[in-house]
Amino acid sequence: MTTLDPFVIAGPILVVVADIIVYVAVGKLGTKSSGKGGKYQPFTGGEEQIPARGTYESELFVFAALFMVVEAFALILAGSFASPTNLYPLLFLGGGGGVILVVTWWLLNVGGMRQ
Amino acid sequence: MIAVEVAEILLFPGLTFFVWIAFLFDWLDRKTSARMQERVGPLVAGPWGILQPVADFFKLTSKEEIVPEFADRFIFFLGPPLFFAAPAIGIMFIPVVGTAAIVSNQYDLLFVLFIIAFSALMAAFLGYAAAGRWSTIAMGRLIAQYTGYEIPLIIALITPAILAHSLSITGIVAAQRGIWYIVLAPLSFIVFIISALAELEKPPFDIPSAKTEIVGGWMTEFSGRPLAYIKLTKNLSYAFLSALAVSLFLGGTLGPVLFADPTLQAGLDFIYFAVKLLAVGFIIFVVRTALARVRIDQAVRLFWMVVTPLSLVQLAIIMVLWWK
Repeated sequence: MTTLDPFVIAGPILVVVADIIVYVAVGKLGTKSSGKGGKYQPFTGGEEQIPARGTYESELFVFAALFMVVEAFALILAGSFASPTNLYPLLFLGGGGGVILVVTWWLLNVGGMRQ
Repeated sequence: MIAVEVAEILLFPGLTFFVWIAFLFDWLDRKTSARMQERVGPLVAGPWGILQPVADFFKLTSKEEIVPEFADRFIFFLGPPLFFAAPAIGIMFIPVVGTAAIVSNQYDLLFVLFIIAFSALMAAFLGYAAAGRWSTIAMGRLIAQYTGYEIPLIIALITPAILAHSLSITGIVAAQRGIWYIVLAPLSFIVFIISALAELEKPPFDIPSAKTEIVGGWMTEFSGRPLAYIKLTKNLSYAFLSALAVSLFLGGTLGPVLFADPTLQAGLDFIYFAVKLLAVGFIIFVVRTALARVRIDQAVRLFWMVVTPLSLVQLAIIMVLWWK
């Protein structure tokens, strides 16, 4: 069991904090505006007859969420590669195969292919 | 000691260094594509126009930042720095000087994979938060493309981990002292480059930001500082994914040992890394300029029917031939 380098946790936090500080500081360079009216409407690309905003496709989001859950499952299984036997790597392959099977099923039925 | 670690994370070889690499990549990308298309490319700001990306960044930050009427203000404000944080955190796990990264853990490759997924998800959130017509269409394309390239990308990155019996990027680099993994797993390297093009939204997979079809894609409604940050993030991801390819397939900082002095050798290792980084970047510059955009259905089909099986074939070969 190796000891955890505290910067594995502190490092990302430090980067995020520095990032937000710089972002806020850089914001002082330009002006910021919000409100109502033509200027604040979505960009039309110079066209008069633009298509209406696309409807919210919840299936696509369910698909993406499920995808990420199964992906996380496969990645956790991948952590088993330090194992001296090949049982866990085979489990990973099973997990990877499961990912492909599930997302393909979703893709064919309700998933991202139906746009 | 803590001050040194903080300086390494924020300055060199961490965030600030990679931000400059991101600007350099942007310039090289524009210059390479210009040369291939018989144009001159950036020429004015700095020698050979090398400071053009920096000038563009500061020009954008000084522009008016317009928040659309129906945009989700919270994500619109906080999204760009969080989007930037993903590759900025990822680069900490890449060894740049010597064989050890700034921070390292035995499972950092898995963390990096989550970071790559988070980056794509953040882009989708930003597109939807902008509440524009074009950005909504682009977000749908982005998610469809993401679900296509993510699996082969993961399999391609796990293959070196299997070869090295390690899920630490530092460990994988150290395991390549004998032979680089591009030799043992060339298909994984190719799959990684193809998937990286999709992750970076570079042609032929620039479908979510296709200018001639959906204006600026998911970035259409962004202006001023958020747009500057998003563009910088995309270039930082460019450098990050190239650095990841160098570490996992090209031996990272490893090369011939010429000096007995560790400081001099560490400097030489950095040069090896820089040369390899530019080489991988150059592959992406050339490929993205040479190829035309495909449709979203073609891209998804390509990833599921060709690239994913290709990555699995390489994984199977590795398991049969090299598993010990």
